Amino acid sequence: MSDRAEHKDRGIRNVFVHYGFLIIIASFFAFFAFYTGSFLNASNLLNIVEGSSILLILALGMTLVVALGGIDLSVGIAFDMGAAFAIVALKEYDAAWYVAVLIGIGGGALVGLLNAFLIVRLSVSPFLATLGTFFIGSSIQRIFTNGGGPISYRRAPQEYRNLATGDLFGVPMEIVIAAVILIAYFIFLERSIFGKRIHAIGLQKTAARVAGIPVQRYVAIGFIIAAATCAIGGIIGSANLRMFTPLAGFSYLLDAIAAVFIGASMHPRGRPNVLGTLVGVLFLGMVANGLNLMGLDFNTKDALSGLILVAALAISVAQKRLR
Amino acid sequence: MTSRTAREPRRFGVPSLSAMAGYLPLVIFVCLLGYLSVVSSNFLTFPTFDLILRQAVPTTIVCLGLSIVVMAGGDDVVSGGIDLSIPAVAVLAAAIIADQLTNHAASLAVALPLALMAALLVGAVNAMLVVRIGMTPLLATLSTSVAVVGIVKVVTSSRRINVDHPAVVWLRDGTIGGVSSGVVLTLVFFGVFFFIAHRTRWGLNLQAVGGSRDAAEVSGIPVSRFVALSFIIAGFAGGLAAMFILARGSGSTPGTEENLLLEMVLATFLGSAFSPRRVVTLWGAILGAVLVSALSIGFKSIGVNVFWTGCIKGALILIVVASASLSAKFDRRKTAI
Repeated sequence: MSDRAEHKDRGIRNVFVHYGFLIIIASFFAFFAFYTGSFLNASNLLNIVEGSSILLILALGMTLVVALGGIDLSVGIAFDMGAAFAIVALKEYDAAWYVAVLIGIGGGALVGLLNAFLIVRLSVSPFLATLGTFFIGSSIQRIFTNGGGPISYRRAPQEYRNLATGDLFGVPMEIVIAAVILIAYFIFLERSIFGKRIHAIGLQKTAARVAGIPVQRYVAIGFIIAAATCAIGGIIGSANLRMFTPLAGFSYLLDAIAAVFIGASMHPRGRPNVLGTLVGVLFLGMVANGLNLMGLDFNTKDALSGLILVAALAISVAQKRLR
Repeated sequence: MTSRTAREPRRFGVPSLSAMAGYLPLVIFVCLLGYLSVVSSNFLTFPTFDLILRQAVPTTIVCLGLSIVVMAGGDDVVSGGIDLSIPAVAVLAAAIIADQLTNHAASLAVALPLALMAALLVGAVNAMLVVRIGMTPLLATLSTSVAVVGIVKVVTSSRRINVDHPAVVWLRDGTIGGVSSGVVLTLVFFGVFFFIAHRTRWGLNLQAVGGSRDAAEVSGIPVSRFVALSFIIAGFAGGLAAMFILARGSGSTPGTEENLLLEMVLATFLGSAFSPRRVVTLWGAILGAVLVSALSIGFKSIGVNVFWTGCIKGALILIVVASASLSAKFDRRKTAI
């Protein structure tokens, strides 16, 4: 290979390494805009953002856990528990809407507490601990709902319903809540000493311990905060449908993991980060929306989005590795 | 210092804390099985035993595949070898066979190679993602498993497909020398896997790769090739399991993969509790699969609500892995003192 060709080759490689995933996002965007007439409408773009807000909330929780060097397969359970506790509190105990929200968040935090106990006290690896939590949580939901029937509460108070369907100065409430959590996570993970310590634990646990960071406590708190965050997603979901659908959270699991890893691939040092996660979530939301607009059959859509997910993850990991 | 040497011999007499923690899952399993055989009078009879073995067949075969992957990748679940897509691959292969036999009236000679090819293809994709792209096996196989489940939906249109092909009926009802045909075939597969993994140079190298990747690399073993092959073998095991999934359910049913995944992970990691060094072995996998199946059937026979089974199995996974890691922790503490 001549010198010049090699140089050119490295140029292409450089472009891929730095902008690979952005190019893919742009090409998907262009494809959907070209293929479906209504994709570029302002209302549809708002739909994408609104439709992504619950996934964003779960993915932020996942970002925290992955930044700690773990993984949480039970985000869906925390999501379901948030919805279940809140709806049951409203329906059976006539709780005020804000009490129900707090109870829901507490219900999700219980899932995080179980994870934290297994990981910190029993030193089970996060993968197996949260997998066990996932199976136990799914089973509990089936027992509680007698096989998975939804618990609906049509007469939920308007304030509770507004969490999903209301708006603040014209901006849909879901987006407002997701944005608040996004900013909180950004400050917490990227701009505070806590965030620095969390990244330190994720990078080098032993070094972090030697440096005097109480690793176990940070890991425990991280898993609990992540689960509580996911519960907020569940509460919004239940406010939207005015019911608790058992096992609904599972569908977010892989998308949340994928968004975090896509986001990590954009970081200069390949770390999971809040803004990268946002980009990953919007990409997945855009693909889901575009495939819907193309009018594909439900099963084909599922297969296609699975294949796109594999390809997107492969490209983002390859991009990170080549850097 | 002197007190330590003086105390040392006692370790041989009294079982250490680490050994006790390590045997906890086995003790719990024996207690559960003992309880089941006391409560349910026909639990310890030949028909039940036969049923347990037959129910364990698909799980055993996917466990064989997972064991090979874990052997090649090391048993750390996050950075080591794991293949979560085997159950999805098995269900995909089952869906292809069912679709071909029932909807397209194809012969088994067409359907089976087609399904095995699809299974090998997914294995090859996993191998490429892990070895070439450098994804962690957990992330790679989790994402392929979602894509594969999506493809299964396209193949079956999310519907159940009944299969009454004579070969499938034979696998379900047939016997070889008085033993259920599925069980005999599984033993044959086990023999082949066992021979390859434990009695050949290839298997020895495979275990060396999993034991210490760097040491294997330095010794001149082509590490990437072994890791890649382990994923392809796992895909093949998924394809093999397909026929037995069809036989167990008399057809392909959407959603079979979830329970199979639970049982596969439980059986494989339970199996490592049988091994003296707490590593995943083929013997452990087959014993684990039979024990898991015995529990499922035992709980059903004493009338436990079927929704509880997932909870009990999830708790068992946690007990097994927690006791293994606690045992390792006590071991470290002992050597550290």
